[in-house]
Amino acid sequence: MALTTEPLRPSFEQPPARVAIRRAANYEADLETLIYETLREFDPPVHGKSVLLKPNFVEPDPRCVINTHPAVVAAARESFLRLGAREVLLGEAPGNERDTEGILETIGLRDFTGPLDGIFVDLNLDDVERVPTRTRASKLKELYLPKAILRADFVVSMPKMKTHHWAGVTLSLKNMFGIVPGNCYGWPKNVLHWAGLTNSILDINSTVRPDFAIVDGIVGMEGNGPTQGTAKSAGVLVMGDDPVAVDGTCARLMGLVPERIDYLKRAGLLLGHLKLEKIRQLGETVESARTPFQVTEAFRQLVA
Amino acid sequence: MESACATREPISTFLESSFREDVCLRLLAESQNSDGGWSSYPGSRSATEPTCLAFLALSAVPDEAVAKSIRRGMEWLRRTQLADGGWPAVAEQEKSCWVTALACMALHSQRDESGAVDAGLEWLCANWPAEGNLWWRIRAKLHRKTTTVQQDSMLRGWSWTPGTASWVEPTTHALLALRAIPARLHPKSAAERIDLGERMLYNRMCPGGGWNAGNPLVYGVGGMPRIGATAWALLALSEYRERAENQQSLEWLRRQYDSIRGPVSLALAQICLSVYDCAPPRFERGLQQLYSANQFLHSIHAAAWSAMALSAPNEWLWGPRRKGGAHGADH
Repeated sequence: MALTTEPLRPSFEQPPARVAIRRAANYEADLETLIYETLREFDPPVHGKSVLLKPNFVEPDPRCVINTHPAVVAAARESFLRLGAREVLLGEAPGNERDTEGILETIGLRDFTGPLDGIFVDLNLDDVERVPTRTRASKLKELYLPKAILRADFVVSMPKMKTHHWAGVTLSLKNMFGIVPGNCYGWPKNVLHWAGLTNSILDINSTVRPDFAIVDGIVGMEGNGPTQGTAKSAGVLVMGDDPVAVDGTCARLMGLVPERIDYLKRAGLLLGHLKLEKIRQLGETVESARTPFQVTEAFRQLVA
Repeated sequence: MESACATREPISTFLESSFREDVCLRLLAESQNSDGGWSSYPGSRSATEPTCLAFLALSAVPDEAVAKSIRRGMEWLRRTQLADGGWPAVAEQEKSCWVTALACMALHSQRDESGAVDAGLEWLCANWPAEGNLWWRIRAKLHRKTTTVQQDSMLRGWSWTPGTASWVEPTTHALLALRAIPARLHPKSAAERIDLGERMLYNRMCPGGGWNAGNPLVYGVGGMPRIGATAWALLALSEYRERAENQQSLEWLRRQYDSIRGPVSLALAQICLSVYDCAPPRFERGLQQLYSANQFLHSIHAAAWSAMALSAPNEWLWGPRRKGGAHGADH
C-alpha cells in the first residue's frame, strides 16, 4: 500500500533496492514488452489490486518534451493489467494548467490508451481526505490527499527525466507533487513552495511513498526545466521499487551527483537508498547508458 | 494600438442551443447533490467552486425547477460559509481561500441579502498575500539582484490560499467579484486592492502578451502564456480594452483559438473574445467535437463553462461596457 501507518525505518535498515535501466531508442519501440518483462523481474504484488499510475502531465505540449510520453503510460497500463491488476487508473493534478482535459487531448493520450472515461482521475478536483504527514520536514503537518490516491493499493510514479530550475532535477519523488490537489493548494501549489520545496517533497513522499517508479528518459529535458528546457534524448526507461534509488540512478545517468541534490540526499536517509552499494543494477549499467544533461548556472555544482 | 478585433461578430453567436440544453444544462441539473451543492464530478462531495459555477450557469435558465435548484445551491453556500466570512474550497478545509470571490459573485447574482456577500467581501479585502509581509520586504531588499523571477512583488493581488503569494487567476476572480458588486457595498480597502490588483496583472503579463499562472519571466526566459489565465486576466481588465497590453494579449488568444483542445479553455476563450466583441462563430461546433472525445469526462466545470459560453452574456463576466481609460476608474 502506498499509504501506510507503519513507522518509518531509516534507509540503512531497509533491504537493498533494485533499479533497471532499459534502452529504448524512441517511442515507437515495443515499450509494452520492455516494461512488462521488467515488471516480471520485480514481481510487484499487484494481482487483483488497484494500481494508480501517476504520470507527469504538466502543460499542453504537443511535442511531449515536458510531459511523460503517453506511449510509456499506455505501455505501463497494459503491463500492469497483464500482471493481473484489477484496475489501472491514471491520475494527475497538473500544477499550473487548470484545464486537465486540454493537456490530455493535446498530448494525444486517448490515442494510446483508448477512451479516458473511467480510467483517468483529475486529482486536482477529486474528493479529498486530510492525512497527517509521516515526517515533519516542513511545517505542513497534514496534507489534503485525493481519494483516488488513498484508495489505490499500488502507486506508480511515472516522471519525465528532467532538470528543474528550483530543485535540480525532477524525477519520481518530485513528480509526487502532482498528487496534491490544486483545489486545496492552488495552481501552482504555492503552499508547498512556501513550506519549502525540499521539505515538501520529503513530507509528501513519506506520507505516500510510491511503490514503484518508471522514468521516461527516452527523451528528457535539460537546461531550464521543467518546462522551458531543451529536449534531450537519453534513450532509456529507468524502473525500480525504490523511488530514491531510481532517482539517484537517473541523476547519475544525467551526469549529476545525486548526493549533491538536497532533497535526494535527505530522502536517502529515510525513504530509500541513494548509496550505490545498496542498489542492485539490472539491465544496462549507469556507465554504458550515461547521457550528461546540461543544467542552469545555479546548479553547476551538481555536475559530476 | 489598433484593435485586435476589427470586426464585431453578431451577438447571435450566443443564442441558446440544443447542445447547451441537452448536454450542459442537463448534466448540471441532474448532478446536484442532495445537500444542495454540486461536486466537480457527479457522485462526489459538494465543493464551493463547482457549486458556484453550476448555479451561475443555471441562473440564465427561466424555469421554476431550476430556480428551486439554485435556491438550494444558495442555501448550501450560506451553510458552508466560515465564521471569518470566507469559504473553503472543500468542506474538509477549515480555512477560507480563493473560492470566496466566486461565492460572493454567485450569491450576489441572486441578490442574496443574508449578509453573506458583505462578510465575504470583508474577508476578500482583509486578506493580503504573503509577499507583502515584513519578512518578504526585508528579503526583497537584501536580494534585489535576484534573477529567478522578474516581477514587482510589491504589487499585491490575491493568493490561492492564505499565507502564500499573489497569482493571476485568484486576482482576476477577486477583481471580477468587486466589479460585479456595487462599490457602495465594498469594504474600505477595496479601492486600494483593486488598483494594486490591476497593476499586478499588467506587471505579470508575459513578454509578447498573454498570461500564465503568474511568472512571466523565470531566469530571464519569458513564460509561456496559457489560455485560461489569459482569458481570466483579459476579462478582469476589460475596462481597459484599448490598452496595448490588452490588445496584444487578445491577439495572442485569437491566434491560439483553433488549437485549444480542452472544453474549459475553449469556453473561457469564447467568453473572453465575446466580451471583446470578436468571438469566432464556430464555437459550438468545436465544443461538440471536444464533447464527443471524452464527454467532458463528466466535469461539472466543463459543463458549466460551456453553458455560460453558449448563453446570453453573464453580467458578472461582461462588466461595465467600455469605460476606457486609466487606473482608478469608477468601480
